[in-house]
Amino acid sequence: MISRVADHCFWLGRYIERAESTARLLQVTRTLAFDAELPPLYCWRPLVIVSGQYPELTHHLGADAAGNGDAVQRYMTWAPDNPVSIRNSIRAAREGARSIREVIGHDIWEATNELYLWFMGEVAAAQYLQDRDEVYRHIRRSTQLSLGLVRSTMMHDEPMDFLWLGVMLERVGQTARTLDMHYHIQGAAEGQQPLLQTALWLSLLRACSGFEAYMRREQGRVSRESVVSFLLFEARFPRSLRYCLRTALALFRRLALTRSGGTTAARARLEALDRWLDQQEKDGLPLSEHALLTHVVDEIDAGCGELQGGFEGTDDLPPVEQPEAAQ
Amino acid sequence: MVLIEQEVARLPASMVLDGYRALEGTYDELVETGGGTRKHALMVANLLANMNADTFARCQALAELALAQRGVTFSVYSDDRGTEKVMPVCLVPRVIGAGEWARLERGLVQRLTALQLFLDDLYGEQRVLRERVIPAELIFGSKHYLPQLKGMKPPGGVRIHIAGIDLIRSPDGVLRVLEDNLRTPSGVSYVIENRLVTKRVFPAAMDRIGVRRVDDYPTQLVETLRSVSPEDPARSTIVVLTPGPFNSAYFEHSFLARSMGIELVEASDLFVSGDEVFVKTTLGPRRVHVIYRRTDDAYIDPEFFRPDSMLGVPGLMRAWAAGRVTLANAPGNGVADDKAIYPYVPDLIRFFLKEEPIIEQVPTFVCARPADRDYVLAHLDQLVVKAVDEAGGYGMLMGPDASAAELDMFRERITSDPRRYIAQHRIELSTSPTWVAEERRIEPRRIDLRPFILTGKSGSWVLPGGLTRVALRAGSYVVNSSQGGGSKDTWVEAGATS
Repeated sequence: MISRVADHCFWLGRYIERAESTARLLQVTRTLAFDAELPPLYCWRPLVIVSGQYPELTHHLGADAAGNGDAVQRYMTWAPDNPVSIRNSIRAAREGARSIREVIGHDIWEATNELYLWFMGEVAAAQYLQDRDEVYRHIRRSTQLSLGLVRSTMMHDEPMDFLWLGVMLERVGQTARTLDMHYHIQGAAEGQQPLLQTALWLSLLRACSGFEAYMRREQGRVSRESVVSFLLFEARFPRSLRYCLRTALALFRRLALTRSGGTTAARARLEALDRWLDQQEKDGLPLSEHALLTHVVDEIDAGCGELQGGFEGTDDLPPVEQPEAAQ
Repeated sequence: MVLIEQEVARLPASMVLDGYRALEGTYDELVETGGGTRKHALMVANLLANMNADTFARCQALAELALAQRGVTFSVYSDDRGTEKVMPVCLVPRVIGAGEWARLERGLVQRLTALQLFLDDLYGEQRVLRERVIPAELIFGSKHYLPQLKGMKPPGGVRIHIAGIDLIRSPDGVLRVLEDNLRTPSGVSYVIENRLVTKRVFPAAMDRIGVRRVDDYPTQLVETLRSVSPEDPARSTIVVLTPGPFNSAYFEHSFLARSMGIELVEASDLFVSGDEVFVKTTLGPRRVHVIYRRTDDAYIDPEFFRPDSMLGVPGLMRAWAAGRVTLANAPGNGVADDKAIYPYVPDLIRFFLKEEPIIEQVPTFVCARPADRDYVLAHLDQLVVKAVDEAGGYGMLMGPDASAAELDMFRERITSDPRRYIAQHRIELSTSPTWVAEERRIEPRRIDLRPFILTGKSGSWVLPGGLTRVALRAGSYVVNSSQGGGSKDTWVEAGATS
């Protein structure tokens, strides 16, 4: 497939996943802030910190903004100048989809376009004031619809693999960030009663869409060790670091990418990260959660950076003779 | 939406078409001067007979929502990033009778055949110049004539693979050619999308009446392109070349690639090596054989056209000249749809085909001819003046509506550069019943028609119908989408011949 199109597919996957993840995080944190007897600052500031936008938020809206749930939500949902706001993710996903409509097919385009038209229109703005939870739910359902259509309507070949690679790498980063955010909240709630501790762990699982899967696996027992190990290493849970990393690596192997420098470097980095996580597990997690997660996030970011513009097969090889469809 | 139609049947009187009258001195596509409905258009009258303003407004809103969700948009260049707008559509279809269409089809193929022979001749022997069918200075003065191409033959032999011929109907009921588009005519995607919307909103009606289908256009197009490949058509790679998502017709580029199942590329995806064209893929370069390019000549190849430009694919013209890649349409076609050449097309048909033109055109004054120029300058306030190298309704003077300052400006321009201008008496374009949202009723609005003609190795094929554009503003003659125009579904009556 055309290298530029591969790049668009990759980013389309990332933006759709990012919009979903951000909406879910806001939705869960909002619930947490209502229940958890924690000051708002302790609930909302970590969300802004792990999104990487804490300095910008306080710069634009003042030092107190991170403790103001409404301000944080507005900033993370609507702000045009926040690169990771839901608005910018939906917009970028829609622009990406528009430029590769002929590759992704009509259904995915229409789902993405409808989300965009709804979100930018008056209905979403009004609903945000009246029934905010429904706005987050709508975003999540639409993005999930797009991703479901990817797997059920696209040919399972290169374009879908690039798109799914984007989804998986975005998701590793998001799960790692969410865990790290929880680390910040937990730190603030240190010494609190065990009931609150449990509530926080459950909230974390919800933030990763893992509540029910975890409860089934553990039959209702909640402990720090098992939650952390579930989100890091449970290979059957589609949002754990291990699942996402291994799926991404399998996609790298499926895609005949060995010809281009960028993808080779990224693949090697992610393989090393996968081995490093294995070692951490064997050694009984010697690092603090924060140090471990920071390493994961940094490596994923570096890997995605290496992929940037790296989807081009090298020119000095013999040309591909057959149209790809015939192969 | 079937429900709506059933509901409609029970509604009281005061229907949306009640009191509809043709404009004075204008041909209406639905009703005759006496008020009776034209026979072939009865299907539309029947469709609307049971609708009041509320039901029609609901159908219209459904149609607009469907188009927005499907992303049927065009971009307007008025700001940096290009704003996307949904192509305005009027749900009242325009109908063409079977008999008239059959004649039109013959006339379009005749015209295209002659224009193709004209281009072959111009970039070959130039008999038209030697035998003075066209004044040489008009050819050499055309900015779209490319003397560098003289002697080159396009791979596959065809030059005008895709043509869009603009037609208008004058008050005497005669359809006339207003303009030829032989470079990158656009609009066919709206034809197909409009039909989808009509089917969705009026399912029962479309089921009952015989309308010729339009959805096989992409299949016909890809077969046309395949047939002119320089290599084995079955093993050829065909691509659509777009300037990118900010181009005003990007929706169509994407639509065509998608519905033909071929790749949409930008210039930066292609490169030329050893006179062959390649596309950069994740598996390395892959040879490309046919390019349906939706970029202007000037942006094809910086080596050839504009050394200062970064746009285009360096070496593409070399590959074309070497016969290793087919460009559709061929470079250099612009000279044949130059507005200054247009007045001579009937003569070209007679010269090359020894036939009389089947389709009329609009009598035209060529300002390069001194007698014509004097007439134009003396009657400027009655004429429509067009710059020969502009399109989309730009560079135009509507004499009857113009201010004194505008008239003076054009008088000066014509005097200083007569070659650049032609003039015509304003034709009272025919009207079609059109939904006027603000008034919540149907009124006559002016329309034109752009049929599309595909030409491959084995001859020409005409898409039944084409794009009907409508000037949505009351009193307006300008149908261009960039200037307040919309479109309509165009129904060709299925006749005994089809």
